[in-house]
Amino acid sequence: MSAQSVRLLDSRLRATARSEWIKFRSVRSSPFALAATALTVVVGAWLLGAGNHGSYQAASSAGQAAFDPVFTVLQGSELAQLFVVALGVITVTGEYTSGLIRGTFVATPQRAQVLAMRALVFAVAVWACCTAMSFAAFFLGQSVLSPAKHAGIGDPGVLRAVFGAGLYLTLVGLLGLFTGVLVRRTPGALAAVFCLLAVLPIALILFKGKLASQLGEYLPGIAGEQAFHLLPSGAYTLGPWPGLGVLAAYVAVAAVAAFTLIRRRDA
Amino acid sequence: MSGTMAAPGADPAGPTPPAAYRQARAALAAEWIKLRSLRSMLLTPLLGAVAFIGLADGQARNNGANWPHLDAVQKARFDPLVINFNFVILGVLLFGVLGALVATNEYGSGLIRTTLAATPQRGLVLAAKAVLAGLVSFALAVVITFTVFLTGQGILSGAHAPHVSLGDHHVLLHLLGTVCYLTATGLIGLFAGVLVRSAAAAVISMFGLLLVLPLLADKITPDAVTRHTVPYLPANLGDEMLHHHQGLSPGVAVAGLAAWVLVLAAAAAFSLRRRDA
Repeated sequence: MSAQSVRLLDSRLRATARSEWIKFRSVRSSPFALAATALTVVVGAWLLGAGNHGSYQAASSAGQAAFDPVFTVLQGSELAQLFVVALGVITVTGEYTSGLIRGTFVATPQRAQVLAMRALVFAVAVWACCTAMSFAAFFLGQSVLSPAKHAGIGDPGVLRAVFGAGLYLTLVGLLGLFTGVLVRRTPGALAAVFCLLAVLPIALILFKGKLASQLGEYLPGIAGEQAFHLLPSGAYTLGPWPGLGVLAAYVAVAAVAAFTLIRRRDA
Repeated sequence: MSGTMAAPGADPAGPTPPAAYRQARAALAAEWIKLRSLRSMLLTPLLGAVAFIGLADGQARNNGANWPHLDAVQKARFDPLVINFNFVILGVLLFGVLGALVATNEYGSGLIRTTLAATPQRGLVLAAKAVLAGLVSFALAVVITFTVFLTGQGILSGAHAPHVSLGDHHVLLHLLGTVCYLTATGLIGLFAGVLVRSAAAAVISMFGLLLVLPLLADKITPDAVTRHTVPYLPANLGDEMLHHHQGLSPGVAVAGLAAWVLVLAAAAAFSLRRRDA
């Protein structure tokens, strides 16, 4: 590639990223979903911290040793992920519903470039937002927990767990975004990702035996959640980084399928 | 049975002149056409039913195979009905989401404006939707519940584990309770869909309200506030109604679920009449 074609590609990518950013910030659902996520994570941290304060004191010494002060207050992410996934899905399906996608593809016929820049804009915005509120939730939650077992930001593993919650939410959001490309309809895409993240783990818990637990640790939700655990949560759980890696692998598979199909199908 | 289901819709069509009766019939017919001509309304219940019957049967098989390895305490605690109906905690999602989609589909496509132009009596439109969604949920719930029961208990008896039959004490009541709970979540979904008017918001609220929120709330130790709120989440009311292990009596749980349905129905009727479409 000559220097000129690199410059050309660079300006094209910038233009696409800028148009994706305009679309992302100008739909009403984006600030709404991010505000709902922030509210859930931060208020959740306060409620979970206050609610688990008593259960810590009532627990046996083994229970107290297994008590995870970081995961406990960041667990609101399990509810907040519904909003982030929905934001990812709507970022794509909203354009299919309104017909804007045809305008987008006329303006930028390089469809892979559109999808790549959209995923990038989405990931950066969601990551910044979710990491910030993960820190807010951590400090609020620890101050509520504080007479009971609590953690400081400098304790080993804590910084990783707080960043982990932001990364987890970003990855599930991307999973929603790429699934949106595959399904192209809001309710179907939402139901598919919610089932993968929230329903399958519970369906597996209903089964007894080692096989179900071993399968469970590779489900995207259970695996990715390890990123914001301070202590391992059971015999069949991956570590924080391998867990996040498994979630990232699901996202990568969805991304490959999305990049293939968005070029093949009509809009 | 349809008498109880039709109750919310019976009011506008009550003992009034024939014109109102014809209107109600026309509204019902219109809603029925819209309901049955949606492709997702055929495919989703079918797939959902297969998934949940499969899940329940798989679980019965799993527990049946596990039975000989249980110790005496676990054997005493083995409840063939509870094992059979664990799928309900997930099954309610199917009903809630389907109910919500009945309402939000029309908002998504803009059809709702045509509907309300054709039938300006918005309360009547909502009542007709509720009657049909209630009846369809009820029928689907009956099919799923009884298939799960008959196959699940058959699997347990085949594995020589404890099992119950329809005539046993409280069994039929348990099945009817399950059917009512599933039907109620279908209606909760419908009214929530009318309230939020968008498919995404409706699907989020169903998964949040019926699945994630109760799971998170159950992890908190009951204190002054949560003791009087958490048990009244619809999912916990349904659980109490069927298994009554925590304190609320089944009667209170049934009343609580009915209150959720009625309050949401009133809120949906109010907002449908007040807001634009």
